[in-house]
Amino acid sequence: MISLALITAALLLAPPEGPGRSDGSDGLLAIRVGRAETASHGTIEHAVLLIEKGKIVAIGQDLSIERGIPVLDRPDWVATPGFVHCATRIGLDSRSGNGFEPQQKASGELYARQDVWAEVLEHGFTTLGLQPPGGGIPGQSAAIRPRGKSAAEMILQDPANLSITLSSNAGSKKMLRGAFEKVDEHDEKVKKEREKWDKEREKKKPKSKKDEEKKEGEAEGEKKEKVEEGPKFFVPPAPDAKVVPFIALREKKLSALITISSASDYLHLLDVISEEEFDWSLACDLRNDIDLWEITARVGETGRRIVLSSEVTLQEGTRRERNLPAEFQRAGAKVALVPNADRVDSFENWRLDVGFLVAAGLDRDTALRAMTLEPAEVLGLGARLGSLDVGKDANILLWNGDPFEPRSELQAILLEGDIVKGDVHR
Amino acid sequence: MKNLWKTLTRTPLVALLALPVHALAPAQDEPAAEDSGGEEGAGEEEEPEKTERWFAITNGDIHTGTGAILRNGTILSRNGVITGIGYDLYLPEGTDVLDAMGMHVYPGLVALAATNSITQSRSSFQAELEDDHELDAHFGLDSAVDEGLRALYGDPEEGGGSHVDTGEEDSFDLDQYAALEGLAAKEVRNKLEDGFDPFSQTLVLALATGITTADQSGAAMKLKRGEIDRTMMREKSQATFAWGTSSPTGTQSTREKFAIAAKYKRLWDAWNALPEKQKKEKKEPKKPRGFDASALSVLNGELLARFNADDREDLQGIAVFAQEYGFRPVIWGCREGWTVAAELGRAGAYAVVTPRDRNPKDERLLRDGGTSIENAATLHAHGVQVAIRPASTGFSMMGITGRDLMHLPVEAAFGVRGGLSNEAALASITLVPARILGVDRRVGTLEVGKDMDAIVTDGDVLHYQTFVQWAVVHGKQVYDKEKEIYFAHIRPRPKPPEAEAPDAKEEEQEAPEERPRPAEDEAI
Repeated sequence: MISLALITAALLLAPPEGPGRSDGSDGLLAIRVGRAETASHGTIEHAVLLIEKGKIVAIGQDLSIERGIPVLDRPDWVATPGFVHCATRIGLDSRSGNGFEPQQKASGELYARQDVWAEVLEHGFTTLGLQPPGGGIPGQSAAIRPRGKSAAEMILQDPANLSITLSSNAGSKKMLRGAFEKVDEHDEKVKKEREKWDKEREKKKPKSKKDEEKKEGEAEGEKKEKVEEGPKFFVPPAPDAKVVPFIALREKKLSALITISSASDYLHLLDVISEEEFDWSLACDLRNDIDLWEITARVGETGRRIVLSSEVTLQEGTRRERNLPAEFQRAGAKVALVPNADRVDSFENWRLDVGFLVAAGLDRDTALRAMTLEPAEVLGLGARLGSLDVGKDANILLWNGDPFEPRSELQAILLEGDIVKGDVHR
Repeated sequence: MKNLWKTLTRTPLVALLALPVHALAPAQDEPAAEDSGGEEGAGEEEEPEKTERWFAITNGDIHTGTGAILRNGTILSRNGVITGIGYDLYLPEGTDVLDAMGMHVYPGLVALAATNSITQSRSSFQAELEDDHELDAHFGLDSAVDEGLRALYGDPEEGGGSHVDTGEEDSFDLDQYAALEGLAAKEVRNKLEDGFDPFSQTLVLALATGITTADQSGAAMKLKRGEIDRTMMREKSQATFAWGTSSPTGTQSTREKFAIAAKYKRLWDAWNALPEKQKKEKKEPKKPRGFDASALSVLNGELLARFNADDREDLQGIAVFAQEYGFRPVIWGCREGWTVAAELGRAGAYAVVTPRDRNPKDERLLRDGGTSIENAATLHAHGVQVAIRPASTGFSMMGITGRDLMHLPVEAAFGVRGGLSNEAALASITLVPARILGVDRRVGTLEVGKDMDAIVTDGDVLHYQTFVQWAVVHGKQVYDKEKEIYFAHIRPRPKPPEAEAPDAKEEEQEAPEERPRPAEDEAI
């Protein structure tokens, strides 16, 4: 009854002739499915989802639907959130490098008129995190939706995170340590300038209108920008473009995705950033000889998020299988998964690869979450998409069975409320 | 105590003798394996050193490496440093106890010139391989530093000779040079420490061999597992000098370096001995042309002079040369050392030998020559400090297997075959290499004040059948044969009989003395 009221309320709130949508409607749609796997709060049997203006406005069990709302009634289908790939180079070239270019943005390489976007959308990927190329500190990622006529239309969030690769060697450690040292240097410089400015201001108290003009264009977030007593502003010196992302990290306006390739890299990473406080997730491409199992407990106890490829691996020098995603999850880490390769066929098989992980012991709910909500969190979009929750983007996949079953097929895809795949007659 | 005693007396003696000795290990409070598993032990990394971390090995036969063997003794450490060796030691509450009943406890082995894959991660190892050709590993100058030196002192290619050997007399500034040397050392330190891979499988194999300290590009690294803090003990202990009949110019240059350094040292010492007032008036002596800082360090006793030499004439020459300048040479190879052992002994030399080395003598010469299985023994008998290393200092699963670093103790056993005493053979893979690496204050023997780097073996360490059962580094158990994938399946450690475990609680230190012991010194 509450839900009925809710739907009605939603209807009332909605303006009768909503503007905006391409087909002229406000995209009001109810979906009734046998099961909705929300990724955030478990599974809802006999679920009804109400979608309006590209957002989910209600979700619940057996909600009654107001007359007049178009209903997609598929009692044997399963709804899941759209897949999110948080670290890919698909649609971009495959360059490599090992430089220090934190100011670069992956969004700069984005080109909208490519078939690949439709192809990945076809396989259920409603959000992609595009990474800058290569190792070292190559730049900042961007989160996009695989639809749009121009790069600007595709972009969801830019920057989504800062991409960093750390390996166990002096050069790599020095690069990262040096970056934060540069922030310190900048802070020091700002402090000095500030003192200088204060002194000068003390000296020439009466006349001080000159400084006022300088205030524009400085949005890098220096805390001491304003002086309480007067209208005059202290303008801190502009930081180097390469330092800006690290200032943002420290101020927690940006998160980092740090890629490592062995267990020892993690210890060396902690050695470098142990005193820094910023949001970061780990990422690691799994290989058969990887010794990452050595650090599951250590990563687990911090509750950190780790992005892993979706495969069961063999322990170094043995035929002993290790389900590392499951091991990390059991240890307490948050696991996000990515397809095993940056190719469309690998995207297509992703749900089956993850299905193997589930068969090998990964918790099923964790698995779905690792394909949707956790990668969304990596991109800083956890509040906007990644699960079937009220208020989130209506990125919904509709399956005719369990999504991890090979025989199940993707029947329809909703991207922000629009049905982008599936010949669905209401 | 009574319970164990009863059990033991009830057991037929024959059965007791037939048992492998470590089958008797049970009777203590807990199965030792529970004390701290390899991974848990490694997981304590975050633990602040303020809290005291006690670790003890009990009930083992402790071969201290100083000559003493303590039967059924206890060795206790606090925060990784040995605080006591003996009997009836008081173990503070919370001490991690490794019960080594029926086992032998030795100091951790020290591997000279070991492959860097022991401690270096793939990425750093790769980086190192790439620029290895520019880098004399034992001089340890990074190419960047090399460039710095070149900028300061001119290009060696142009100037002719080494980069510190340019013509202008006044171009030398010791402070500058020292700063660069410091920089070079720092670079090496960074390279090795920042590339340290505490999860390396080669490191596990090294621990399985009993190696707890490894020479990596001339630096002494402690084989810590699962942690990367303070792994380097010393970055450089030797400076290499050329010597040999095959390169007379190298020999000549070495002679010159020492002559110049000695002359400079005399001047400097004389200046330094002046009272402060005169010191200011009289300027510090300038570095002469051709001055070599390494040679000065050797004369000052800060570094050891390393020579790579095998032939009798070269060895003889080095011995005489070293006596002339009063330093102790470290001679790597030393194949024909047995023919001039007395001279090398007089020079107080160190020799790094490979007992299984095989090389025929030069048949054109009448004199003795070529390899001898007795080389190590003869050198040792004449007072040379002998260190032993195998033919290959990598870890081999194929190819040269049996003569690689995994068989370091076996190589030392071949020294015993040639007449070396067991004690000297143990020293040749522990204390002597530790001295060569300049870390004998910390490792090489089990003594109070040294690091708790020990191995627990199921037999004489020099015996080919012996396995390392546990390895302890810096007071933490880092290797347990039963828990690693490599050797757990070969002659598994007998499990303690379960029924006994609860009764045996009262048994602390006093096990019955009649307990059968493994035959000692039966090595080869």
